[in-house]
Parts: sequence; C-alpha cells; structure tokens
Amino acid sequence: MSEPVFVMKKNELEAGKVRKFDLCGNAIAVYNLNGTFYATQDNCTHATASLSEGDIVDDECIACPVHDGTFHIPTGQPMSFPCEHAIRTYKVIDQGDAVMVDFDQEADEAADAI
Amino acid sequence: MCTANDGSPVRLKRRPIAESVANLDRLMDLDKGRMSRDLFWDRDIYEQELERIFARCWLFVGHESQIPKAGDYVSTYMGEDNVLIVRQKDGSIKGFLNTCPHRGNKVCFADLGNARQFVCNYHGWAFGIDGGLKGMHASEAYEETGMDKAEHGLHPVAHIDSYRGLIFATLDPQAPTLAEYLGDMRHYLDAIFDMDEGGTEFVGGCVKSVIQCNWKYASENFVGDILHAGWTHDSGAKAMVGGSVAEVHKFPDQSYQVNFNGHGWEFNQDIVGNCATLGEKDLLKYLYVLQPKVAERHDDFRSRMIGAISSCTLFPNTSFLPGQNTFRTWHPRGPGQIELHTWTFVNKNAPQEIKDKWRKGTMMTFSPSGVFEMDDGENWEYSTRSNAGYVTRQQDLYLGLGQNSKLDTDLPGNVYRGQINEANQRAFYQRWLDLMKSESWKKVPQRDIPKMKEAL
Repeated sequence: MSEPVFVMKKNELEAGKVRKFDLCGNAIAVYNLNGTFYATQDNCTHATASLSEGDIVDDECIACPVHDGTFHIPTGQPMSFPCEHAIRTYKVIDQGDAVMVDFDQEADEAADAI
Repeated sequence: MCTANDGSPVRLKRRPIAESVANLDRLMDLDKGRMSRDLFWDRDIYEQELERIFARCWLFVGHESQIPKAGDYVSTYMGEDNVLIVRQKDGSIKGFLNTCPHRGNKVCFADLGNARQFVCNYHGWAFGIDGGLKGMHASEAYEETGMDKAEHGLHPVAHIDSYRGLIFATLDPQAPTLAEYLGDMRHYLDAIFDMDEGGTEFVGGCVKSVIQCNWKYASENFVGDILHAGWTHDSGAKAMVGGSVAEVHKFPDQSYQVNFNGHGWEFNQDIVGNCATLGEKDLLKYLYVLQPKVAERHDDFRSRMIGAISSCTLFPNTSFLPGQNTFRTWHPRGPGQIELHTWTFVNKNAPQEIKDKWRKGTMMTFSPSGVFEMDDGENWEYSTRSNAGYVTRQQDLYLGLGQNSKLDTDLPGNVYRGQINEANQRAFYQRWLDLMKSESWKKVPQRDIPKMKEAL
C-alpha cells in the first residue's frame, strides 16, 4: 500500500463543487458532497472531456460538460447515456482538515459496488 | 448591457447584398397617402424584407425575466431565423443561430429551459452555453485527423443588448447601437417598462398562434391604428366587457401619435382606458394609486400613459398594449402568414393577485381565444387574401388620415395631434422603404433627429 498523497485543505473546496488536480501523473477530479470528499479520474470514459468542468447534479452525480452523460461520484458507475463505462475512483482518506488520496485504492463505495 | 459577441472569432457570414426589387419608389407616395398592395403579396418583396429588414434591424428576442439564471435559454425567431438566447455564467446574454455548424440540424428543440450544453441529435456535436464546440461523439476520430474546435462553435448573432429588461439582437454587424436604433422612443418606453423601480417581468408562458396575414398589417395596426377599435372591436367590447370603445376621435386635443425611426405609439392621457376593457376594477385601482408616483419618477405627461388607450410597435414587428399588458412579436412566415408569439407583462413589484388578473385579462382579450384578437385576425387575413386577385392587387390603398397634424413641441420624437391619425403608419412605411432601398445601414437616411442623448 502506497502513501496517501495530500491534495488540499478541506476548506479549499466548498460543498457541491468539484475541482481538478494533477498529482503523481494522474488527472483527478475531487468532489465535496455535503462535507464528504470523493475523488475520481477527471477524463470522461465516453468522449474527450474533463469531468471537473461539469456540474454536480442529483446530489451525487457528475454531469459531463460535453454530452451531459452522468456518473455516480461515490462508485464511479455510469448513470445515463451516453456514458457506459465506469470511471476510476480513488480512496479519499480523511485526516482532520486535509484531503488525502490513495492512488492505489478504489473508494470504499466503489469496492462495495463491484 | 452587453454586446456579447465582440472579441470572438467571426462566425456569422453574410453574403453581399442582393440586387433590389426594381422601382421601390413606385410602391408608395406617402404625402398623398397612397401605397401599393404589392407590399402585402409580392414574394420578391418578402425575400428582400428578410434581407434588409429582418436580417438588419434590432429585433426583440426575449425578456430578461425569462432567463434569470446561467444556462437559462429561450428559443425564438429573428425573421425566419431560429435563434437561442442564453444567459451566461457571468450574467451577460448571448444569442446563436439554432443550427449545428456540422450538418445543419437544429440543436435545441425546446422553447425554453435550462441547459448545461446543447447537444446535436445527429452526430453528438456538443456546444457550451457560450456557443463553443466542446466535443462530439467519436471525438478521437476528429482529434486524430486534425480539427480546431474553436472554429466550429454555434454562429452568434452580430450584437445583443437590452433596454429596460427587453432583450434585442441584430444579425447585422453594421447596425447602429440599440440606443440609437430605439432613439427617442426610449423616453416613452420608460413610462411602461420603468413604471416603478422594480421594472417589468413576463408572467405565464408564451401563447402562439398562426394568422394568415402579412406581418405588416399587424405591425401597422399597433403602430398607430386606434381608428379601427371603435368600429372593429365595438361589438366585442359591448358583449365581453360591458361597454363601447371610447369615442377617441372626438377629443383630438387630448391624444397623440408619436414616432421615431419607424417605431410608433398612439395614446391618450386617460391613465386607464386600455386597462378598463379587461373589466377588473382592482387593476384600475392599482394604476390610479401608481400614477402620481410615476409622475414623480418621470413626469405627469408620461404618468397618464401607464394604462391609457394606446398601442405601440417597435419597428419592425414587436408590439405591446399598455394597460392590457400584452406583449407580442409578429414573426413573418412568407408574405401571407405570421406566427404570433404573445406574453403578458406586469410590474415585477405588483401584488400576485394583480399579476394574475392581468394574465386572465390578456387571455380574455388578446389571445387566440380572446375577443379582440379574433376581431383583428379576420380583418388582417382578408386584407391580405383579397390581393390574390390579379387586378385587385393593382389597385392602390389609402393611408392619408391626419396630414399636416404635426405638433411643434419639446416632447421627444415626432409628435402629432390626435391619436386618430395615420401619421405613425406613414412613418412606419417610410422607414420600411428607406431600409428596403438602402444597401447598408450607412445608406439608411437618418430622418429623425433625436432629442434624447444617446447614452443609456
């Protein structure tokens, strides 16, 4: 198991927002869903698009900014056309006021879903 | 407010101006009140109107209250061009042709809504609310073979701007500013659309109908024809709202026609005459209470226009009725048909029950089921259709009422004595002829000298 990587302080991303980070060669999208933080790959699995430029809809889905297809943020599962393939999730480790990401592990919800 | 498309790549092509229909001057001799029926029937004239009127003038495209939030949009028409008017994330407004630049399909089929993007049904080309092409189905294929997405966004309108909540756009990059275009009419528009500090809003949806008439019959009616009301609408008024239309022709010293750049407003000073036809006493009370405050905000003269017997057309094809509070655009559909889009406008600060009564009132009077709309529609249809007669359409029409009635006054615009007049209609057709004869905006004669300053 690799070391979790520091991403940001929790207060740098308000609830209902998403932001892109380039860390350790990975483009990731980090989400604040009502105080719980999640991380996924930033690229859409359908067409060329950066998910962090999309909007969070239905409380816990990300709508792709290009074709408006959606993914479930906690599990990475595709939710609506034209998205068909899940996005990779990353485990977020809660350490006080910091958001840390483990690039070797899926989110717990994703692991449960599979 | 916003000239939204400056600074973007030029994405709106215009072919050089076509050759004009010959001898346009033969169509009218307005000093004698004479005009030709070809204006209402000839297909070539209609095609030239699409080019020199509708693809050139500032046209009403929406009310700011219809699109309060980022991504809110309305789909409407500029002539026969379908456009999307979209609120941006920075609060500005942009307009685009509703057509995919790839293979031409319509990109948005709803009349209004909120969008995060517009995705074409055909090949999945996806456009942001700023019109930029963001991606498409099978985007890797495009990426491999080279394509600059920045060159393939939606086609923007040339300019977009708003006045007192009314959004206008033009498809001609050479057009004057909206302030110049509206000119002195802004002075009078303020009486209605800046009646109090809250401004106006549209309530309810858009009511649409088709009338088999030339668009100019509708525009010229609202630009200055109160004359028809006492005759056309008399029986409807008696049956529906319990009284005759007022005999406004008997009081020419208490009423006016005002025009500027082809826009026109006929009105008297009775404060509530139009509103009274809705048969709702609470609306009259609302206006009577408001009137002294409007006098303070603007002046006594304009405060007496807030619901008076009156009508207005903003050149070329947008009209409204103070007091009855219907707002409408007569979209041309060939020389013999219009698609009429109407809304109810109210003061944003008015109590809800007052807004509801105005909505009910416009439905009873000026909607497809409204008694006055029916009256007008039939007249305009037969005024248009009679010209199918080959010899009939060679006979002139008369538009000569109210010659030599211009007043010498400090009021902005060209002001005429008596609202029973055809001065505004003549000014409307003079502007029409000026635009039809001119190869570019620069060549359009500026007949009217503004008294208002240009700056908003």
